[in-house]
Amino acid sequence: MQKVIGEQKKAFMTGNETAAWAALAAGAEMMFGYPITPQNEIMHYWTRLAPKYGRGFLQTEDEISAGFTVCGSVQSGKKAFTATAGPGNVLMQEPFGMAEGMRLPLVAVIQQRGGPSSGTVVYSQQEVGLTTYGGNGEGFRIVYSTATHQEIYDYVIKGFNTAWKYRFPVFILGDGYQAKMREPLEMYNPEDRGIEMVPTYPLLGLGGKIGQDREPAHLCNIYSLEEELNEVVLKFAAEYEAISPELVEYEERMCEDADIIILSHGVVSRAADDAVKELRAQGIKAGYFRPITLRPFPEKQLREAIRKSGASKLLVAESAYGQLYRLTRQEIYGETIDMETLFMPAVGIIDFDIIQKVKSIL
Amino acid sequence: MIEPATPKSWYLPSKPHKFCPGCGHGIVLKALGEVIDEMEIQDKLIFGCDIGCSLLSWNFFACDTTQTHHGRTTPVMVGIKRSRPELVCVGYMGDGGGYSIGSQHLVNSAVRNEKVTLILVNNTNYGMTGGQMAPTTLPGQKTETTPYGRDVEQTGYPTKGPEFIAALTSDNAYVARATVSKYKQLKRFIKNALRNQIEGNGFSFVEVLSTCPTNWRTNAKQTWSFLEDQMEQYYPVGELKNPFGKGDK
Amino acid sequence: MTRTTVYGGVLIFSNHAARIIEAYVGEYASGKSELSINRALELKARGHRVTIVDLDTVEPFYTLRPISKSLEEKGLKVISQTQEDSFGLGETGAMLNPRARWALMNEGDIIMDIGYGVNGARTLNLVEGAYESEELQIMAVVNYTRPMTNSLERIKEYLISLGRVDAVVANTHLAEQTTTELIVLGNNQIIRAAAELDIPVAYAAVDRRWQDPKLEQQIDVPVKYIDRYMPAAMW
Repeated sequence: MQKVIGEQKKAFMTGNETAAWAALAAGAEMMFGYPITPQNEIMHYWTRLAPKYGRGFLQTEDEISAGFTVCGSVQSGKKAFTATAGPGNVLMQEPFGMAEGMRLPLVAVIQQRGGPSSGTVVYSQQEVGLTTYGGNGEGFRIVYSTATHQEIYDYVIKGFNTAWKYRFPVFILGDGYQAKMREPLEMYNPEDRGIEMVPTYPLLGLGGKIGQDREPAHLCNIYSLEEELNEVVLKFAAEYEAISPELVEYEERMCEDADIIILSHGVVSRAADDAVKELRAQGIKAGYFRPITLRPFPEKQLREAIRKSGASKLLVAESAYGQLYRLTRQEIYGETIDMETLFMPAVGIIDFDIIQKVKSIL
Repeated sequence: MIEPATPKSWYLPSKPHKFCPGCGHGIVLKALGEVIDEMEIQDKLIFGCDIGCSLLSWNFFACDTTQTHHGRTTPVMVGIKRSRPELVCVGYMGDGGGYSIGSQHLVNSAVRNEKVTLILVNNTNYGMTGGQMAPTTLPGQKTETTPYGRDVEQTGYPTKGPEFIAALTSDNAYVARATVSKYKQLKRFIKNALRNQIEGNGFSFVEVLSTCPTNWRTNAKQTWSFLEDQMEQYYPVGELKNPFGKGDK
Repeated sequence: MTRTTVYGGVLIFSNHAARIIEAYVGEYASGKSELSINRALELKARGHRVTIVDLDTVEPFYTLRPISKSLEEKGLKVISQTQEDSFGLGETGAMLNPRARWALMNEGDIIMDIGYGVNGARTLNLVEGAYESEELQIMAVVNYTRPMTNSLERIKEYLISLGRVDAVVANTHLAEQTTTELIVLGNNQIIRAAAELDIPVAYAAVDRRWQDPKLEQQIDVPVKYIDRYMPAAMW
């Protein structure tokens, strides 16, 4: 595969650029997109780089089209991706649904902004519900929630492999702050780290002579009878559940003896990490739990952390009004731990906010 | 202090407005404001704006206004007009909101001869989001998503909106293209458009060729040159459909 | 006015004009805003009257806007969109303060922070009289750790794409992971690229955290230590 990263490997970049470079390094062949703040630089960088590496791009007429053009592209066997935010994410649920229904290896980078509606162009964690369970399906998606630029790079590359190996749509969930913040990270060619890129394969345009070498491919996402669809959904569910254990990723610190576990995801987990360290220094036994995959959710691992710590409280901190909270509650139903919440919809959360909240509830 | 003469339908607390220096929006909205005054429709005018630079007009008029979603100003105006036909509905959008994400709404409203007035400001780029390619970007023009110049092989030719709208509409629709370089004509076209709605004839659409020195990165002279020597050559100015009389050039 | 001296084979640029008018251009996140602020404050400390102009029309976030007040408190005149101006508008992208158009009408020195964008330094067209000004100096800021300028060839390609460049400012850093070795390696590559294109170099900018006389010995141009103001401009 083409090596795109040259000699100077450590770089100072913004999150958006990182996504574009990672897609390039992962061998993505096509990007389809539409302008919406705060992810525009993913397109700006892709359009500058693409011609130099023989990759393709189209700015479509809207996000619905961007999603469907990616669907078509992956059906034809090309590694394709898109990026969007906010209202664009809402529009893309239709094509994301087709990817779920037809098991297409679609990859999308989502840079959350304030919602609902046009909200703000800045930041939030208010697209968790949408990205995990949007559309009219059952949420058979894989969602990676990144917290650093290094993770954006790593998970975009991993995202393509996950998509092409398991054929569920994959989302790299960032936000406007990550998109624009500047940080050092190390870029690499996957093969230099022993990462083998899963080969792509077409679902249409399979080559050979129809009737002679092969039958025609007839792909659909609609069924005549309820029983047919029931069978399909159950089959997908079984597959999804079977692969979940190997897909789940999370981070856990100091939960062995915690009185309170702080649960957060994405960029807020950086503040939670600082908060836990500071609380411990002040003699408060706080623990840190961060789901990296929101789908599939590290439910077993969270239950285990709760059990072994004997913690009496679980504080969910998010820049939304309960989206992570509801997801968590449904996943750990039955746990009797007290769930507390720190909802700061559409604004950033700093360690001070979490520390104050912890002290007020203990 | 001498206050500049501004239309009565302008909302003074939001002035001076936020459009960039050299932007054509201010000219279009002045023409619209004067027409609203002259036709005395301020109290029943509903103004809808899109996302993009047109968003900066959301508190521009002393008229009832709603901001909508990107590309969805047209259907919102249609909803209002169909529910309250006595109101005068004006949808205001850019070339992206109109010809890109909003094109299906434009097409369908034209076909149904919706009695709304749509004013589309064409400055050949997506201004507010930082200067990406728009449907009306000219061949070879550099934008943030066409850093090497617009390649018509890859992205097609620039969209000639009024031309395709005119082909779709019925005979009692009004379709025109104006330019900020010809103010009196711009006003006349806007007036005809509103007249078409008020008299209950049908759909009215005015594209206005406008300037964006900020994203074009042009000084005053270069800005006018791009508008008059390039845009107006590519996009012919005039009335394409005028139920009130012969086409006016 | 400006002087270029040759030092160890490198053209060094220094600005001795009676009135300093400098426009900082460069790749996205190369350090233009930070260096503009430092330069403006440096001139202010010498007793000059200084206006700093925010000409970023693409990037809605990492600009001077949020820290305008604190810069004004330090005695600078700041021309940028303020938070209040953009309040209630949602999209806070390409907007320009009309005062920016007439920036050169202000007395004293003018420092312009030109945002990124496919049109590079052409943004100066938006400032009345900028290109005609004899005192205008276009300063290209380059950080070797930015992927688009992380090799000799890429730096040269980038500088050529900018069009007119009067001087280069080397600004290699990797935020908190910066090392002296990196500063020396990266900046020397930038200096070499500038030399191969016959463009003078003004200085190498180094965060005061990395202050080190050994560093100064290994870089062939004057080293200027800078302070960080931009982190306060983001959440």
